[in-house]
Amino acid sequence: MSRGSGGGYDRHITIFSPEGRLFQVEYAFKAVKAAGITSIGVRGKDSVCVVTQKKVPDKLLDQSSVTHLFPVTKYLGLLATGITADSRSLVTQARNEAAEFRFQYGYEMPADILAKWIADKSQVYTQHAYMRPLGVVAMVLGIDEERGPLLYKCDPAGHFYGHKATSAGVKEQEAINFLEKKMKENPAFTYDETVQTAISALQSVLQEDFKATEIEVGVVRADNRIFRSLETEEIEEHLTAISERD
Amino acid sequence: MGDSQYSFSLTTFSPSGKLVQIEHALTAVGSGQTSLGLKASNGVVIATEKKLLSILVDEASVQKIQHLTPNIGTVYSGMGPDFRVLVRKSRKQAEQYLRLYKEPIPVTQLVRETATVMQEFTQSGGVRPFGVSLLVAGYDDKGPQLYQVDPSGSYFSWKASAMGKNVSNAKTFLEKRYTEDMELDDAIHTAILTLKEGFEGEISSKNIEIGKIGADKVFRVLTPAEIDDYLAEVE
Repeated sequence: MSRGSGGGYDRHITIFSPEGRLFQVEYAFKAVKAAGITSIGVRGKDSVCVVTQKKVPDKLLDQSSVTHLFPVTKYLGLLATGITADSRSLVTQARNEAAEFRFQYGYEMPADILAKWIADKSQVYTQHAYMRPLGVVAMVLGIDEERGPLLYKCDPAGHFYGHKATSAGVKEQEAINFLEKKMKENPAFTYDETVQTAISALQSVLQEDFKATEIEVGVVRADNRIFRSLETEEIEEHLTAISERD
Repeated sequence: MGDSQYSFSLTTFSPSGKLVQIEHALTAVGSGQTSLGLKASNGVVIATEKKLLSILVDEASVQKIQHLTPNIGTVYSGMGPDFRVLVRKSRKQAEQYLRLYKEPIPVTQLVRETATVMQEFTQSGGVRPFGVSLLVAGYDDKGPQLYQVDPSGSYFSWKASAMGKNVSNAKTFLEKRYTEDMELDDAIHTAILTLKEGFEGEISSKNIEIGKIGADKVFRVLTPAEIDDYLAEVE
């Protein structure tokens, strides 16, 4: 077997290219975009909301089984953008890790610790040749007892940061530009404002008005810390509020 | 380490005798954000740029300068995720030393063990070198110390050093300004001025981080308020 570095293998496994880049990691980012959906997360004063497109490619598919929004514990949600199979693998491992954490330490795994765990696992895939990086950007949301609402984003390179608002997927950059304008003055959004900012950001960058069945919305609130996916009627209410506002 | 399919080293000699994967790792370090360190007569200071990708990122959630022990701190230039791995391993090594010898680990020992880990990743099967250079600042019985560790695993003790994008300008500046009898506060001012040299945009307490350790042997990351004070003094 030919050795890497200069042998063209820097594109096949995660070793350095001559410019000091990791091509496999960069390609993993492209795979996230190739999935064809965009996701948005917004952190308010006392709540966090994530929104993603729900594209059901075939009418014969059971719509309820098409989801990118997963509860990891009762209080932690994970929005996975990218390759569906990789997302499911990540969520399964995250659920296991969070459950073990609760058992070992006696308290619920905080959102930032879970995000760090995901990011550290992703880093291993960028350094060891035998496993490729996952084509998933994960947004972790939860209400922390001490620090309030938290929104973290983890990417295939192993980076993770807390965000006031963020995006992932096809229109990631456009969405971030939109959100930067909205969040520039550090507004303290109420729950309704948080949800509506997230949904209207998605509508704006994709330039279409959604039906309630075409998007998934997940929330955690300080007064109800359980992570939940909004029902179609609730999404409908928010969509109506947005269109009346404009 | 790794699958048996990859039990051969990915870092191998080129015909000219170079280990190119290590060189590429150094290139990755060289495109990272600038960081630097200075050893004063009564302490050590390390500092780094903290430029985040968007104003949407919560800068309080990010801390680039990390403790390894209560009296040893570290900062990096290069790939953040790789840095986290090294911090975790080093912390564990320091704890194991403490448990075995009932004494805090000397700075040189911790640096050597960390460097060994980095070297192993240049020789073991199925892994690539770390894409980070570390600056390790500590104060123990031998006094204040500053070490730089490279992706190859080689390390040196420095009076002052810099790494990352602006390394040559920063080092030139440090060579001019550094004096052996500098005190810690002077060193912090010099560190800020050096960062300012190559800084794109306006320097503030939100886009740099500073860590220091003095004769009290407690490594501390400065709060934004403290950085503001030092920035005002520098003006």
